[in-house]
Amino acid sequence: MNIEDRPRNAGIGASVLRKEDDRYLRGQGQFVGDIRLPRMHDVAFLRSPVAHGTIERIRIPEDIRPFVFIAEDLTGVAAIRADTTLSGFKSSVQPILATGKVRYVGEPVVMCIAPTRAEAEDVAQRIVLEIDELPAIHDMLEGRAAGSPLVHDHWGDNLFLTTDVDANFITLTAGATHKVTREFRTARQVMSPLEGRGVVAQWDSRAGQLVVHSSTQQPHIVRTGLAECLGLDEGQVRVIAPDVGGGFGYKGVLLTEEVALGWATRKLGIPLRWLEDRRENLTAGADCREHHYVVTAYATQGGQLLALDCEATVDSGAYSAYPFSACLEAGQIGSLLPGLYDFQHYRCKTYSVATNKPPILPYRGVARTGVCFALEVTLDALARELGIEPAALRANSLVRPEQMPFDNIAKRHFDSGDYPEALRRAVTMIGLDDVRLRQRKGETDGRRIGVGLAMYSEQAGHGTSVYASWGIPFVPGHEQCMARFTPDGALELRIGAHSHGQGLETTLSQVAHSILGVPHDRIKLVHGDTALTPYSTGTWGSRCMIMSGGAVAAACDELAIRLKHVGAKLLQTAVTDVHLKDGAVIGPRGRIGVAEIARTWYRRPQDLPVDADSGGLEVTAGYKAKRDTGTFSYAAHAVVVAVAPDTGEVEILDYVVVEDGGVLVNPMIVDGQIIGGVAQGIGTALYEEMAYDTRGQPLGSTFADYLLPGPTEMPAVRIDHMETPSPYTRFGQKGLGEGGAIAPPAAITNAINDALKDLGVELSVSPITPRRIVDAVQEAKSRRVAPRAAV
Amino acid sequence: MTAITLTVNGRALSADTTPRTHMADFLRESQGLTGTHIGCEHGVCGACTIEINGEISRACITYAVACEGTEIRTIEAFDDDALMIRLRAAFTAEHALQCGYCTPGMLIAARDLIRRRGTLTVPEIRTEMSGNLCRCTGYAGIIRAISRVMVEVADETSSPIRGNGWLGPAPGPTSRAAIPPAHRQDADRKRMPAASSAASHTLLPSREIKVLTGPIRIDGATTKVTQSFVVEQPIARVWLLLTNLEAVVPCMPGAVLDGGPGADGTFSAHLALRLGPIRTTFAGDGKFTRDDAARSCRIEGRGRDRSGPSSVIGDVTYRAIELSETSTRVEADIGYSLSGPLAQFGRPGLVHGLVTHVGETFARNLDAAAAGRAPTSSKDNELGAVSLLWSLLTGWFHRLTTRT
Amino acid sequence: MKPVAFDYIRPSSIAETIKILGENPDAKIIAGGQTLGPMLNLRLAQPTILVDITRIPDLVRVDDSDDALTLGACITHAAIEDGRVPDAGDNVLARVARGIAYRAVRSRGTIGGSLAHADPAADWLSLLTALRASVLLHGRGGERTVPLAAFVSGPMMTNLAADELVVGIRIPKLGRNGRVGYSKICRKVGDFAEAIGVAVYDPERKGLRLVAGAAGGAPILIDDLAAPPSGQSGARSAWFDDLRSRLQSTSLGTDVYELNTHTATLRRALDEVIPA
Repeated sequence: MNIEDRPRNAGIGASVLRKEDDRYLRGQGQFVGDIRLPRMHDVAFLRSPVAHGTIERIRIPEDIRPFVFIAEDLTGVAAIRADTTLSGFKSSVQPILATGKVRYVGEPVVMCIAPTRAEAEDVAQRIVLEIDELPAIHDMLEGRAAGSPLVHDHWGDNLFLTTDVDANFITLTAGATHKVTREFRTARQVMSPLEGRGVVAQWDSRAGQLVVHSSTQQPHIVRTGLAECLGLDEGQVRVIAPDVGGGFGYKGVLLTEEVALGWATRKLGIPLRWLEDRRENLTAGADCREHHYVVTAYATQGGQLLALDCEATVDSGAYSAYPFSACLEAGQIGSLLPGLYDFQHYRCKTYSVATNKPPILPYRGVARTGVCFALEVTLDALARELGIEPAALRANSLVRPEQMPFDNIAKRHFDSGDYPEALRRAVTMIGLDDVRLRQRKGETDGRRIGVGLAMYSEQAGHGTSVYASWGIPFVPGHEQCMARFTPDGALELRIGAHSHGQGLETTLSQVAHSILGVPHDRIKLVHGDTALTPYSTGTWGSRCMIMSGGAVAAACDELAIRLKHVGAKLLQTAVTDVHLKDGAVIGPRGRIGVAEIARTWYRRPQDLPVDADSGGLEVTAGYKAKRDTGTFSYAAHAVVVAVAPDTGEVEILDYVVVEDGGVLVNPMIVDGQIIGGVAQGIGTALYEEMAYDTRGQPLGSTFADYLLPGPTEMPAVRIDHMETPSPYTRFGQKGLGEGGAIAPPAAITNAINDALKDLGVELSVSPITPRRIVDAVQEAKSRRVAPRAAV
Repeated sequence: MTAITLTVNGRALSADTTPRTHMADFLRESQGLTGTHIGCEHGVCGACTIEINGEISRACITYAVACEGTEIRTIEAFDDDALMIRLRAAFTAEHALQCGYCTPGMLIAARDLIRRRGTLTVPEIRTEMSGNLCRCTGYAGIIRAISRVMVEVADETSSPIRGNGWLGPAPGPTSRAAIPPAHRQDADRKRMPAASSAASHTLLPSREIKVLTGPIRIDGATTKVTQSFVVEQPIARVWLLLTNLEAVVPCMPGAVLDGGPGADGTFSAHLALRLGPIRTTFAGDGKFTRDDAARSCRIEGRGRDRSGPSSVIGDVTYRAIELSETSTRVEADIGYSLSGPLAQFGRPGLVHGLVTHVGETFARNLDAAAAGRAPTSSKDNELGAVSLLWSLLTGWFHRLTTRT
Repeated sequence: MKPVAFDYIRPSSIAETIKILGENPDAKIIAGGQTLGPMLNLRLAQPTILVDITRIPDLVRVDDSDDALTLGACITHAAIEDGRVPDAGDNVLARVARGIAYRAVRSRGTIGGSLAHADPAADWLSLLTALRASVLLHGRGGERTVPLAAFVSGPMMTNLAADELVVGIRIPKLGRNGRVGYSKICRKVGDFAEAIGVAVYDPERKGLRLVAGAAGGAPILIDDLAAPPSGQSGARSAWFDDLRSRLQSTSLGTDVYELNTHTATLRRALDEVIPA
């Protein structure tokens, strides 16, 4: 199908209203916490109150001992290993319940079971953990240093992995007339989907199956992991992801809790439920985004980026989470840092450091948010050093459209796009000249105005060749869809990925509709159940519209062929003489609807000729992109802020996004993804931070401590779309679910630094809190005063 | 179990519950009404928003027993509500939901806002909806949807229904007759106690002690602060007191010496702490050392929370400095570090006041003891037993001060 | 996050409540529960018995006289926000009520509960201190009225006796030309305040009263300053510099952020009542 042919009203390209909304609007969604099974008991985990220590003794009163399980009780259960074959990688062994040592605050130590959660917490409260506290590795830079205490004693250091990229850095010569060096730090964050994690496990004795309902983004991976840890065949494990209240990466992992409940439900013969509460989420689940960078950028006299040199460190937490997490961020920094720019000399060294914190997980944007922050804030500093507009430095340095497809200095293969055009549009939309004019006039209220830009690209749908090189346990191959007509002529689409807000029940229906013409109310997406869907590595990396969308299209294409075969027979004409349009097979002398074809195939086979295709109207088809190095959607974000230097208050006055996500399947949903991402990016930029003390204690456990952006913290975001098709995907689509969250910290920081530049203030940490602004202003003031005082 | 009767979605029912069961759990676990979602269980996120007697409320921090006699309405009971029908349509049209988890609470809050406030500007809508968090949408569609419905029903908005005039949390006394009307009647003033001087009830000590509290510093995981105060007694007398652990410990609000000090200075003690609704007891042991030449003593201790997994490590070093023959300054360097849930909860801004207060109470008690008076009332001691919160709040303080 | 098991009792009168408090040292009063509820769920508070005072008619009494307004302790923020009770002048109670947390909290949270909790970041504590309000207490020893400034002894600490109950709050009325400015800085809307500024300007009565709230402990009261000069003059800005210096000698100390935010909220509050 050509894009030109797409039916704009309901197929690809149409802002079809979401099919999934109705049940949520009526409170009829079914989340894991909504499931009640007969005789079900609740589980509470007693978790480590210290970050690092040796478990000396667990004192359990005799009367509750039967309802309590510790590590040594879990016979036949294997610990979680999530390794890569990359050279030098050190493997962590994550126990299901801590044994020997505890390695982060919140690590599960004891599983307590009772009829209700309150009673399970009562049980937990009566148990005393005697832990001999050890010095905690609370900071990644200290953890990296020689002589640091060790998270994993036998490693010899705390490095999961180090990586090196060096591309012609040695040949960097006198052409580099300007350079700046900046150091950055980003806070540890908590993804905080509004629904926490949750597990309901039961042993189905009839099916001989462990049935686990879990709030997960990737039921098939969880199934494999459970089978491995519990020593079961995968056929003995069924994982169901019901409605999931937000994922963002937080639910893209095998949980120790899933394994523990899977074991205990079989042992006890009763269904078990564990629902993560917000305290568990905010402490034990503080697991993303903590990076440190030292970046040096070089430019030519002409204001063009010439070279980058970077040392990056990621706080990977105590373990590598399953299927793989420990180096996913640091390991990508080397190839992400060059951004959208074409330059000549590059060097980047990364460290994935084990610390006494929860295992790092890939959060929306996976490494890119930190990388974009480090790069784009450095570029603004470089532009100030050069005395030119930051936009000009970028315009001089971006990969140009005529270079596409383009292999960048870090060997990423950009598929398509016009980066300078996105920048131009963003500069125009934000009214850069007007802002500069306004800045010269000044504000009457004492605030200062600033404008900031940031650009990024988002690789998505990258597949086998990329992940095979990582040597991790799961390498995505063909994504599959099973598509079948039911006897009444309705269409079922079954996919192994999961939709939890992305709107796949609608967008994949649009793909099928574009090909088969079946109306939306007769298309049903089945997802989230390993028993009902084809295998998939699940929902991550903005891949679903490319991979599941491609798979749905492949299956529907095959169905279309079969419909035409049957239809042609029924129309008594040659298959070469018919075509499929608007849900009907049309021949020279008549037409027959697909529903009628389905009814005939299933229920009146006597009307079919004897040589009808035996495959019928049920197809499983797989899809891989023509080239699996991924699509690169990209965007330019621009923002205007007003900063009060005395109180540190920041108001976002305007926010624009110019985005190119290739062919958009549903622009309404795309905008929703972008704005939702921007909200999370604003959280990263200005609000969200889980601080730790030097004993590794997380210093917050409520939403009064950990601030999520609310409606007043969000500006009205203006969006402009470019639609450069990807040459490699089924209908030119690109993945874009994460992008909104990537650029805001960089763009907002650049805007704040622009606003405060005359005060000599430059911030390089996220989040930028009011106190940090006030302190920076104060520090700059004393810097200015000090030399004079010395004279 | 406690039996309660109430009306849920128009249906009168009696049910057994426990006093600690909050309304969200009651609805979800025993009534099967799972549309009321739990997002934080501490009243911030709004996912559990329901109506209690027509007023939107947090189901997660309202206990079911307190709802005896109320009329509860949850998301499941709005299918016939014209305004809700419009809102739902607008939510779909404006793409106001993604994962759908916040949606029931969001809708109930939005409907209440429209009914109560009519047409508002976008900034006003944002402010009024700030009690409902959405992690997916960035609120854009939500605000547009509410705005759209406000305009649609601008002419229809009737004044909100105001229950039965009860001014407290719903439902108030079940007997309507018992509700006193708001009235203006000076004669009734005698029913309220007349304003009296605070002096007759003052709990302030007879002698004010000025306690200087230095800035609070974070050193690793330890919060440190220095306090000093002046006791109008000769240094010998003060030093005698300071080196007597049996005398010093009772001056510390809430502290009780359980054993020792032994010859090596070791002792066991517990610290009963109370602040507002938070009460806890740290029990543990410590060591007392003295340096007579420097007129300095040091107490180190560690304790475990008797009702939870929290623990504390702390030390105090204090010095006596002679100012005059009858006047001695006491300086104390205090440091402490918490772990467990008590380290993970707190609020900024309170630390300084708390430390000052603790120091004042300690100083007052020490002053009284040095003067040979009885320590101030046990009430004061209880009040002063704030080190818990003082410690508690360090979490926040840390967060604000450990920056890079 | 479920509370420990506790008993629950719901007295129908003040006298009964006081008796229960006297007999149960571990009893904890609950009204709207909007502050206590989170602490219970987090098991930071582990009382053995909760005493629910929300069904006592005497606790929602309103007495409106010429010189003062007396509000029962169990009156909700929402009732005040909605103007369902009279105001003490300049519509200030309703204005401030509207800014407390969120509507779904205001519908159950009570003015008396807020004062008894004495959270420095709470709105009522700062506003009512500025308005020279007093709390009305009942206990086994009888009744007493205590000015708020004396009632609050520190952050989240009051001089309430164990068997005492806050039954109401007496708020002197503003003069006819009295105006109140109120401003707070929060990290986000509905969150705990980082700084609160209250300016009460009542030319007929007490002149100018300023309160800096959310300052760590009890609200800081400044009532001996002449009004700032009007106009965007240097004199006005000098006046605020003096105010900032004054704040430096309070518990705010020398922390620049604290000083700046409190000075800013006081300035914004003053701008409302004595425009520049």
